[in-house]
Amino acid sequence: MAMTAAALDAAHDGLRAAGIDFVSGLPDGWQRPLHERVELDPDIRYVPVCNEGVGFSICSGAWLGGKKPALIMENSGIRVASEYIARISLGTGVPVTLLCSYRGDVGETEHWGIPHGIVAEPLLQALRIKYLIVRHVEDLAKSIVRAKRIAEAQLHPAAVLVSGDCVWED
Amino acid sequence: MALDRYEWLGRLAGRIPDDALVMSTYIGAVSFEWAHHTEEHHRSAHLGQMGDVIGLALGLALALPHRKVVCLDGDGSVLMELGQLVAMGEQQPGNLVVFVVDNGVYESIGWSSQGRRPTATAGQVDLAAIAAGCGVPYTVDVTAEDELDAEMDLAFSRNVCSFINVRTRPGHSHVRPRRTDGIEDKYRFVRYVERLEGIWITGVPPQDIALMKGKQH
Repeated sequence: MAMTAAALDAAHDGLRAAGIDFVSGLPDGWQRPLHERVELDPDIRYVPVCNEGVGFSICSGAWLGGKKPALIMENSGIRVASEYIARISLGTGVPVTLLCSYRGDVGETEHWGIPHGIVAEPLLQALRIKYLIVRHVEDLAKSIVRAKRIAEAQLHPAAVLVSGDCVWED
Repeated sequence: MALDRYEWLGRLAGRIPDDALVMSTYIGAVSFEWAHHTEEHHRSAHLGQMGDVIGLALGLALALPHRKVVCLDGDGSVLMELGQLVAMGEQQPGNLVVFVVDNGVYESIGWSSQGRRPTATAGQVDLAAIAAGCGVPYTVDVTAEDELDAEMDLAFSRNVCSFINVRTRPGHSHVRPRRTDGIEDKYRFVRYVERLEGIWITGVPPQDIALMKGKQH
């Protein structure tokens, strides 16, 4: 299962409206179409990684060079990236917008997604990362814009967790 | 015969192009000695920590492809996150040169009568070979003085993504630790990049400053 066509368009529109011009990430089942879309966008430099922590480091370096970065990943990737978010941003302050599939949210069908849902929000809170949970497609684009806006204002990541009608057509 | 790190970093500081940017470690012997040799020049971002220095340098190099970016990392840090080499090998920015100070020990944690704690490069691990296996176009494991001078000159005269592992002796030079934290280091570096590149990165955008001036009575 992947994000709906409407959610894909909304996420891409949101990234562009937010002025995101640099994306790193590790594709997951839900947001795979967004990785494919972003990779073809001539206005966005796309850097695939094999581990979300490396993706966060790369995004942070890109920001130091003047880019407006986003990291696209499953929420399990927050755990992997947390070491580098703590090292880099809690100690230095770097704005990276995080766009995460919210596996394990209410409605989840896969047993392996449950731990991701248990850990994601407490971990974001521990890392002092403000976040929005988006369960309606019409909220997705503006939530990405708002997350990027506060990330830049506070010089620290902000996150959007994507779930609900963005992925399930039940 | 392994090389002396402090002496080598001094020679590197003398060779680095004036308009290059440097991503270095945040704390530890490499950072302190580099800061000492370069008098804390603002072109150096002392922002990297264990496992993220190459990633930061890679992002910087991709953001500014016309600018030479030099990365200074240590063997323990590279070993902590080998996935950085995968991304470096996939992206291959020609403006990125990574130097690894490989002394085979965890130098900055101190030592006892049993000696220093070894890293995996003290055994069979060859970081240059790993980087080559990840697709980095130019990799070399340097163990001799004369090789090192030639490698530095080559790295700065061409546009090839490079990973230069330098085997050095353990040991401290006893330069003073740096005094700044990551936040001050960030602002210092970002303002330098803004001036160097003529771009805006953070703070009130220039057009908004102009608007504010227009509103003054």
